[in-house]
Amino acid sequence: MWRDYTSSSLKHNRSAGLSITIAALIAALLLSLLCGLLYNLWKYEVERITLEEGNWHSRITGELSEAELETIRNYANVREVAVHAPEDKGTGPAVDIVFHRKSAVFSDMLRIAEQLGICQERVQYHYALLALYLIRDASDPAPRLLFPVFLLITIVASFSLILIIHNAFAVSMQARVHQFGILSSVGATPRQIRAGLLQEAAVLSAGPVLIGNLLGIAGSAGITILSNTALGNAETGRHVAVFGYHPAVLLLTVLVTAFTIWISAWLPARKLSRLTPLQAIQNTGELQLSRKKNPRLLSLLFGVEGELAGNALKAQKKSLRTASLSLLLSFLAFSLMQCVFTLSQISTRETYFARYQDVWDIQTTLRGVAIEEFHVAEAIRALDGVESAIAYQRGMARCLIPEEALSDEMLALGGFHGASAEEAIPADDGWLVHAPIVVLDDASFSAYCRQIGVEPRLDGAVVLNQIRDITNPDFRHPVFLPYLKGSSGVSVLQQSGGASERAEIPVLAYTREVPSLREEYAKEDYYELVHFVPASLWSTIKGRLGGALEDCAICIRGREGVSLEELNAIQNAVAGLLQGRYTAELENRIQEQQTNDTQIQGMKTVFGGFCVLLALIGIGNVFSNTLGFVRQRRREFARYLSVGLTPGELQKMFCTEAIALAGKPILISLLIIVPLVGVMIQSSYMDVGTFLREAPLCPIGLFLLAIVGSVALAYRLAWGQVSKISLAEVLRDDSML
Amino acid sequence: MEILRCEGVRKVYGDRSNPVVALDGIDLTVFKGDFVAILGASGSGKSTLLHILGSVDRPTAGKVYVDGTDLSTLNQTQAAIFRRRKVGLVYQFYNLIPTLTVRKNILLPLALDKKKPNRTFFDQVVGALGIADKLDALPSQLSGGQQQRVAIARSLIYRPALLLADEPTGNLDQRNSKEVVDMLKLSNRNLEQTILLITHDEKVAAEAERIVVLEDGRIVSDERRR
Repeated sequence: MWRDYTSSSLKHNRSAGLSITIAALIAALLLSLLCGLLYNLWKYEVERITLEEGNWHSRITGELSEAELETIRNYANVREVAVHAPEDKGTGPAVDIVFHRKSAVFSDMLRIAEQLGICQERVQYHYALLALYLIRDASDPAPRLLFPVFLLITIVASFSLILIIHNAFAVSMQARVHQFGILSSVGATPRQIRAGLLQEAAVLSAGPVLIGNLLGIAGSAGITILSNTALGNAETGRHVAVFGYHPAVLLLTVLVTAFTIWISAWLPARKLSRLTPLQAIQNTGELQLSRKKNPRLLSLLFGVEGELAGNALKAQKKSLRTASLSLLLSFLAFSLMQCVFTLSQISTRETYFARYQDVWDIQTTLRGVAIEEFHVAEAIRALDGVESAIAYQRGMARCLIPEEALSDEMLALGGFHGASAEEAIPADDGWLVHAPIVVLDDASFSAYCRQIGVEPRLDGAVVLNQIRDITNPDFRHPVFLPYLKGSSGVSVLQQSGGASERAEIPVLAYTREVPSLREEYAKEDYYELVHFVPASLWSTIKGRLGGALEDCAICIRGREGVSLEELNAIQNAVAGLLQGRYTAELENRIQEQQTNDTQIQGMKTVFGGFCVLLALIGIGNVFSNTLGFVRQRRREFARYLSVGLTPGELQKMFCTEAIALAGKPILISLLIIVPLVGVMIQSSYMDVGTFLREAPLCPIGLFLLAIVGSVALAYRLAWGQVSKISLAEVLRDDSML
Repeated sequence: MEILRCEGVRKVYGDRSNPVVALDGIDLTVFKGDFVAILGASGSGKSTLLHILGSVDRPTAGKVYVDGTDLSTLNQTQAAIFRRRKVGLVYQFYNLIPTLTVRKNILLPLALDKKKPNRTFFDQVVGALGIADKLDALPSQLSGGQQQRVAIARSLIYRPALLLADEPTGNLDQRNSKEVVDMLKLSNRNLEQTILLITHDEKVAAEAERIVVLEDGRIVSDERRR
């Protein structure tokens, strides 16, 4: 009987069935996508940790005899034993052990160590890798929450989807309460009614679950490929993610999806099956308000139709909650994301790419090389297309500044009054401040001297004589003032660590012009006094200043308006010159800019995709409501018509409902976004005009149109059915009561 | 003064192979201030007649004139406006808008025409119907009898040419039924409201000045009682 009843009700309630199908498809798609992504994230972490730290579960450090190794190998749960020379010099070899059953690693290693007579201090565990299999040990202090977080996300997602899709089932079931009342009155038990409803839900959801799962798998594969593009490939040194899928994941996804859909269907089914026959028969399924409402804005804008629409929306508040929330969150997140990325792009461009556009094209870092050991600067400068190449190295010292050496502007700022104890240390004869030493190769230093109009000499330093006005917090347009009077011919430097040995070096010039290097000065410590010195001078004073220098760098500039191809050619030529002599890392400005743009684009696509999915949930919900409520609200519409509402006025009421439904999340989002972006612009000292010129109005507008268009389409389709309502038929139809 | 005239009204449902004749040649004239009861058993065609008179449905043949308007010439929008202004409809199941307060339900026909209510008339109607203290309540907060009074108030607010009541006591107990019929009589007497009441209950019909008996879609008796 139930089979006949189910198939007949499915046949006669296609629109309600469609909304359930859409809801099930979205649930399956999202859960499958989530499980696929989480599995691939987990897989990627396992691969990355294995590659970076080795594939072992437990390690025994120190020397082990062949007999001891044999004992380990013969242990039943041990799968692999590998002896390798450790990376740290001065310690003995280590033995890496891989187990069959990872969960027994801690108990088995205790027994192995006991058997071999090895103290526990020699035993190490690969906690990071084991934690990915949910194997934890109390002695590991690190939180290692990756796997638990994955599980939590899946559970939260399932519950969110239950909240979202149970409404589709509720709307469809509510429309037939009257029928359930009749069934109940002729003897159907609540259990039978519940079973029938769940059976119906299973029939409607089976196909969408399968399709949704397949689409989710395809989506997670697509996002994995996209993330490789966005986050960089093997060339950047990142381990490339390879998409994988395990049958157990598919099984888990199907189970989670089935559970989510079953709960979503069971919740309204349980509620309806508990109604008494009288309650069910009397139920008109009409929208009711528990308290009187007065939608002032809609009444004011659209008159009585607006008031009716507002009240109808209020009465549907519960069933439209998911739609409203999803539409609000998706539009808010999408718009905010677009604005934040635009702000970030402008900021990066202005503070990095634009600022350093005329400073560097190729930056080379030579690992563990001192500037005196670098001898190919001339060869690089001689390369075709190279305009300039400066080899340099940074170090840190302290500089003694006498009180009388401070400029009037610096004194007006309060001298070192605002400096921390670390930034400026009071000394007997003045103040000790940080003095970054930038050592330039001799030729570049001479060129720099000529640039600032000083006779080139290799026995003195050029001092960057500027300090940022600390009273002006605008980091985008900083104001610099003279730091020192600039009258002293020497600078007194001493070791940064606090040793008392000093070096007095001649000052060739005090300037506010810097050499063309990809460096920032006095960014965190406003009071530091930068010294540019030639490599020849550095070789004579480094013994006294001692401070270890950073890696040597080469800042190379091509011709004005150089293209990416030309830069690539120069980069290859420089790499060729350095190959075999130094360990070098090369960066290419245009390439970096393009990678940065691609990464932002990739992130936008991924985040945007999630926003679109969120919007799809909302729109799906709107469709399920509008297609589902036609039957539910038939009597309501008939009543309006019987009181004298014309079809045109009913249509106006419908349009008002659609406008309010789509407009509310947009309006709320704009009310949040506009001031928030305003604050962001203000706090980042960006020009409003600059932001407005590049404001992401197009994507936000398109997203907005998509939301409004979809809601309009849902209401248009529903109107198509509402307009067919025959007033006489509804008034005659007692089953509607 | 003639308010309603039906000339040979016929209504057939179903297709040609299986026609169901609901009304068969109804000729009826109602004058201003009349209180007419249409009495008939279930399936006699009385509700079909009411739907046609209220421009909810159209006759298959024949003409219906209400206050000089030929209902057959009205399109959907004109029919809706006609219902709003010329006819007050009272149903067995009240048909109140559940999301509007009692006051707004009563004033809805006027609000649809963006007309301000006549304060005195409004007070007179709600006072006479005994719902003056329920104006801010929602329909779901009222009893069946109170809801039916609101429905009557709504049907009267536009001072329609004709008030059509379809089994208005069908869903009420004896006490409430009597009250509702008394209200209809009161509005007929005090406001000179023309009323056409449809019922299967002879006791209720007996309260009218004129009883028209319908059987199988035909008028079998038309008796003016006083």
